[in-house]
This record gives sequence, C-alpha cells and structure tokens, in this order.
Amino acid sequence: MARISIDPVTRIEGHLRIDVEVGGGSVQKAWASCTMWRGIENILKGRDPREGWVFAQRFCGVCTTVHAMASVRAVEDALQLEIPANAQYIRNLILIGHALHDHIVHFYHLSALDWVDITTIPKADPAKAASIADGVSTWTGNSHRELAAVQQKVNGLIGSGQLGIFSHGYWGHPAMRLSPEMNLILFAHYLQALEFQRKACQVVGILGGKTPHIQNLAVGGVMNAINLNSLATMNMDRLGTLQSLFQEMIPFVQQAYFADACLLAASYPEWFRYGRGVANYLAVPDLPVDAKATKFDLPGGVIMNGNLGSVRPIQDWHDQPIRAAVAEDVTRAWYMGEGPQPPWKGKTDPYYTDFREEGKYTWVKAPRYDDQPMQVGPLANILVGYASGHPLTRKWTDTAFSQISSVNGTKLTPDAMQSTMGRYLARAIRSAMLSDLALQHWQSLTNNILKGDDTTYNPPQFPQHEVVGVGMHEAPRGTLSHWVVIDKGAFSNYQAVVPTTWNASPRDQKGIPGPYESSLLANPVADPVKPLEVLRTVHSFDPCMACACHTLDTSGREITRVKVL
Amino acid sequence: MKAKNWLYAERMAFSPSKRVCVIGLGNVLMGDDGFGPLAVERFRCEYQCGPNVEVLDLGTPGLDLAPYLFGMDLVVIADAVNADEKPGTLSIYCEADLVTHRAQLRLSDHDPGLQESLAHLRLSGATPSELIIVGAVPESCDFGKGISPSVLRASSVAVESIAGLLIERGIRCSRRHAALRPNLWWLSEDGSEFVLPRSKSQNQAQTNNVGGALGQAVLAGRVEG
Repeated sequence: MARISIDPVTRIEGHLRIDVEVGGGSVQKAWASCTMWRGIENILKGRDPREGWVFAQRFCGVCTTVHAMASVRAVEDALQLEIPANAQYIRNLILIGHALHDHIVHFYHLSALDWVDITTIPKADPAKAASIADGVSTWTGNSHRELAAVQQKVNGLIGSGQLGIFSHGYWGHPAMRLSPEMNLILFAHYLQALEFQRKACQVVGILGGKTPHIQNLAVGGVMNAINLNSLATMNMDRLGTLQSLFQEMIPFVQQAYFADACLLAASYPEWFRYGRGVANYLAVPDLPVDAKATKFDLPGGVIMNGNLGSVRPIQDWHDQPIRAAVAEDVTRAWYMGEGPQPPWKGKTDPYYTDFREEGKYTWVKAPRYDDQPMQVGPLANILVGYASGHPLTRKWTDTAFSQISSVNGTKLTPDAMQSTMGRYLARAIRSAMLSDLALQHWQSLTNNILKGDDTTYNPPQFPQHEVVGVGMHEAPRGTLSHWVVIDKGAFSNYQAVVPTTWNASPRDQKGIPGPYESSLLANPVADPVKPLEVLRTVHSFDPCMACACHTLDTSGREITRVKVL
Repeated sequence: MKAKNWLYAERMAFSPSKRVCVIGLGNVLMGDDGFGPLAVERFRCEYQCGPNVEVLDLGTPGLDLAPYLFGMDLVVIADAVNADEKPGTLSIYCEADLVTHRAQLRLSDHDPGLQESLAHLRLSGATPSELIIVGAVPESCDFGKGISPSVLRASSVAVESIAGLLIERGIRCSRRHAALRPNLWWLSEDGSEFVLPRSKSQNQAQTNNVGGALGQAVLAGRVEG
C-alpha cells in the first residue's frame, strides 16, 4: 500500500492537500485537507448590512461577484425586500457573464492539461486535425491554417524548453490517450479561449462598473442608472454593446467548448465509470425571471442516493426545507465545537491540532443537508434539471449525448453523468444553456426598459428587532449560501457556506466522508509518483479553496508537491 | 521625420496610443497583502494620466489576470513580494526577474496566476511588451490587520516610482493640483479589525510620516462609496 500526499492540488488560489492510500493500482482511502484557516466572516460582524457585500466579494480573488450577489440577496431575504425587475435582469446578466468566464477558464486553462498532452502536438497533421474538428463542430476557428500556426507555436515552445511553466508536467503519462490531432485541436481552443475570457470580463465590467469587484450592487437592487437619452447611463448603445459581446462569445461556448467537452468525453469513456462519490446532489434555483423571484430559468432541487426519480424540486429561495436542513459539523475540522450547527448559529473559532487521520485534519467544515453530505456544482445543476424535466437542460444534455455517440457509438444516460467525466460534461452543458439564457435575459431587460420602466432600486428599511436571512446563488462551482443575522441594523452573525466547502468537506461526526474523498475511492493510479488520475477527479470539481479557507503561505515557491510516503 | 521645434518634439515623445495598465494585486483583507491595491489607489488620486492608462485594483485574480495583461504595451504591477529584505523595502523587478526566479518573488498566493497568465499570453503572442513589478516586502499578512507603518511608507515611495516609470517611457502622467481623496474603504480608524497603525499615538506619528492628504484621509476612516 503506497501513501501519496499531493499538496497543493489547486493550480490557483488556495491550498488543497489530498492524501490517498493506493493499493492494487487504485485509491483505497482518501482525505481532503485544506491547509489554510478561514475566518473571514468574523470581520463582517457589527458592520452595516448595506456594505457587507463590498467585503464579502474580497473573500476570494476569482469568484468575487458571486459572494457580492449572495450577500445582498441574504440581506434582502432578511428584510423581505423585493427588488425591481431591471435589477434582477442586470444581476442575471452579470452572473451569466461571470459563470461563462469561469467555466471556460476551468475547462481550458485549469484542467485541460490533465487530458491533453502538448508534447505530442509536433507529430500532429494539421489538415487531419482540421477535418476531425469540422466533423463535430461548425466553429470557425478550426481551419487548417489556424491549427498549423498553433502547431508552430508549440514547436517553438518545446524548442525553447519553456514547457515547464505548464504545470505538473505529466507529459507522456500512460493515461494521456488523445491523438496528436486531438491534442492540437484542444490546445488551439485553449489559446482562443483567452480571447473569449476577455469578452466575458467586458460584460461584467460594463454592467458592474468594474471587474473584478463589481461596484453596481446595492441591497435593494442595482445602482445602474437607466436613461435611454443619456450618454452616461444604461442606454441603447450599452445594451447594443452587451448584445454583441454575448453574440461573439456564444459560438465559442456552444461550438468550441461544448464540442470539445463532448470530444474529450468520447475519447475517455472509462472516466464515466470513476469518481461518482457522494451521490446526493443539491442545486438552488437561479436566474429569476420576475421581480418577486417566483420563477427561475435554472431549476433547483435535491436528489438523494443517486436516484434521479426522487428529485425534490426547490421552487424558490423561500424553500423552508433547505433552511432547516443545512448545518455544519466541525468534528473533524480544526475548529472548536463538534456536532452540526445551523449556519445562523455557526461559529468560526480555530482549534488547530496538526493533520490527524483519525481526528481533525482540515480547515474546511463539513456542511450537511439533513445530516447527509451533498455534492454541488454544475453536475448537481444538470441532474436536478434533467430529473425534473427542465426543457433547456434536456435539450443540451441530449445534444451532448448524441454528439458523444456520433464519435464513439456509446449511448450515455443521465446516470453515467455521476462520474468524473460527467462533471466536466455537465459544466459544458451548463455553459451552453447559459449562452442561450444570456440573450433571453438581455431581451427581457431591453423590453422592460423600452416599456418605460427605469427603476433599479428599492430602498431598504432596517427593523430594530433581530431578523435572519439567507442569500442563495447557484455559482459556477455550485450552491453558495450566505446566512446572516441582523440586529438593530448591523450584522450580528455571518456565515458563508460555499460550494467548495460542500465538495471538499471532511468526514463528519459519523465518519461519513465528503464528495472529494469518496469520489477518489477506486480511482485508478497507474504510477504513484505521477498521480495524474487523482488530479483529474479532484479537478473535475473545479476546486477553489480561497473562500473555503483562508490563505497564508510563507514559502510559496513550491507549486505542486507529490510525496509518496 | 525630425521634429521642427522642441515643443513638437515633446509632444511626440508622449505616446497617447500606448496601452498602459497599472495594476494593484493583493487581498485588502490580509494586512500588508493590501499593499498593491493601496499603492494604485494612491497613485490614481495623486497623479493624472491620459485615457490610455488604466489604473486597476484587481485583488487576487489568479489566472483571471491574463485578460488585463493582454496586448498591453506596458504593465506596472504593485504587489507584496517575498524577498530577503527588511519589511517595507521597495524593489522594482522586470519580467526577466520573474521568469528566472532571480528575485525569488512571492506574489502572495496568486503567484502561479501571474506566471501562468504570462505563459498563456506568451503562447498567444499577446504578452505585454514590458512588465514591471513594484514590490514591497510585507511586515505581516495577518488577516484583518491593516497596513503596517513600514509598508504604508513604502506605498508613498511606490506612488512616485510608478509615476517615474511612466514618465520615463513617455507616458503622460502628471501630479494633480489637488489630490483626490482615496477610497480606502477597507481601512478604518479604530475599534474594528482594520486599524491602520497599531495605536492612537502611533496613528499620529504615522500621519506625520505619510504627510498630507492621504494620511488624513486614511485616518478619517472608511470613505463612503
């Protein structure tokens, strides 16, 4: 039995350590540990709830927007404050822009190189690659000339010996099985993705006033002034710019990213058998289509034990069961206290013990839903939507299944999605859906403004007594909720239950492991010194530890350390 | 073409078409890691640049830094760095220092983001033509501690360094007649966790060290939106 410790796993933002015991070529036991403390919520206590979001969006450097959004929604929920329809649409467009950006970056820049071996690209035939790409997609960036130019760049890169910058360097690993042509196609899109990542930033910047760290939010709506006759406000010109940015991004998402995810899935079908892990799923509804937030374009719900037939839809953010069901357990985390505490009563008092396999071993708390660990993220999103018959989810999931089948002849089912590859594919499906929704929400905003509605803000009133609220957002990495207690116009408690906390959860008082930990069981590991397969499963969750924990690294020079113990 | 007179020559020397980005990196909630955002906010308030110069506090963007560097002529990044120097030491690095690790930079925990962002841009042929890092060695990056006196002093020097770097390269950048009030919402005077120097008496001393509008504004507490 070999013991492997990978530290840190994330390639950006924050430190995740994974310990696995490997025997007979696969993982037998796993521990996910976050090596940094988090206590950021403590700074919000005593603050004015109207400015909470400004601090909350500094929880993380990458997902700033989502924390800002969850924070204002939490305060609005506590005050039972409705926001104008324009504010919903503007927020939705920001969230869509942010999510598309995030998903594109995850697929290409943060995880593609776990599957794509750049070192084979010099052997590729660009003409053949162009014809493969044309066979599965109408994307215009697949020309022979374009691919040949990328190949030239890669040749130069390999010649200059600079490939080392590209991460772990598991080049030539036996688990890398794409043809040189496929590697070339995916890497060409990897480079193109940079361009589209910028467009997504521009969307958020135009609406948010600035990105990262948007400036336009307010408890009660948004601060975007709408006046079709003014040059300085939201007008037809800006709306037109937004529309064209989305129109430029959508073909990349639906024809390049989505098609690539299908190609990857078709090329590595065995990865639909690994990485299932915790088969309880949670997603909250998002992208409200009306001012009162009674209807949503992304459905929410709960699935237990992988049984899609058992889906319990979450209709809206007033859902009582979720408010009662969520609690955080710190038995195995470096905090004082033990059993599960509902977030409104949650505390964040550190109690560090060192890494103890049978005791406390992480800074991440263990969130539980009715005492059960839950998996969150695009996969939960897609499964809940598919199971509840959501038409847009079905459209894109079925399209993915038929694209994969056209390449390798296998018939996928929603059940097979509960896997490492399923998480990659679900993220691409969600991105394709969000692309459709971007233009719909843009249209709703435009129509509403043309109708003469220019309201964007309802002023909040703070009662003297204590009120509690929860702000929910289905963020790129999954369900995010901020839980607030407000007393006499100031926060008296603040807890953020973030997606990576759900997924990177440690064991709880009953010893039940979290999603990362259980998804790694039976994961293949061909070479314990190069545990590429472990990274594939961990990266499928898109880990981002900066908000799940708190950072302080004094050495920082080591980017990845693999220890075989 | 030779300039006919010095006025014309001077006008030509400025490069209004150069795309320039002055970026502050660091987490403002993490003590001296907020050096970058502090330095660029002060720079924005004390100096005026043309529309070709963007001044941005980007926090800790990781790989999301790439879009902001894309195709720039000049990028100046202010950030906390880990060098074997006294806290508060300000140093200026060029891109080569980063690539060869000669300077042993610790750009807080978003270091991999900067390196990889540059690597991506290099491949797509859109790296900034010139990248300069204005780095200060932090005293303490503890959560919620505010900025230490030595790093606050370093930020004053950094503002002048950034201005100097731009002017040397023919980029229009002039001191404002009256400095704007910096929006340092994450720092507050007392009571809360964001106390900027450590005690009341030190506060006064610090004001004198920094001098002028910034010290007053900083000590006046959070600036309303």
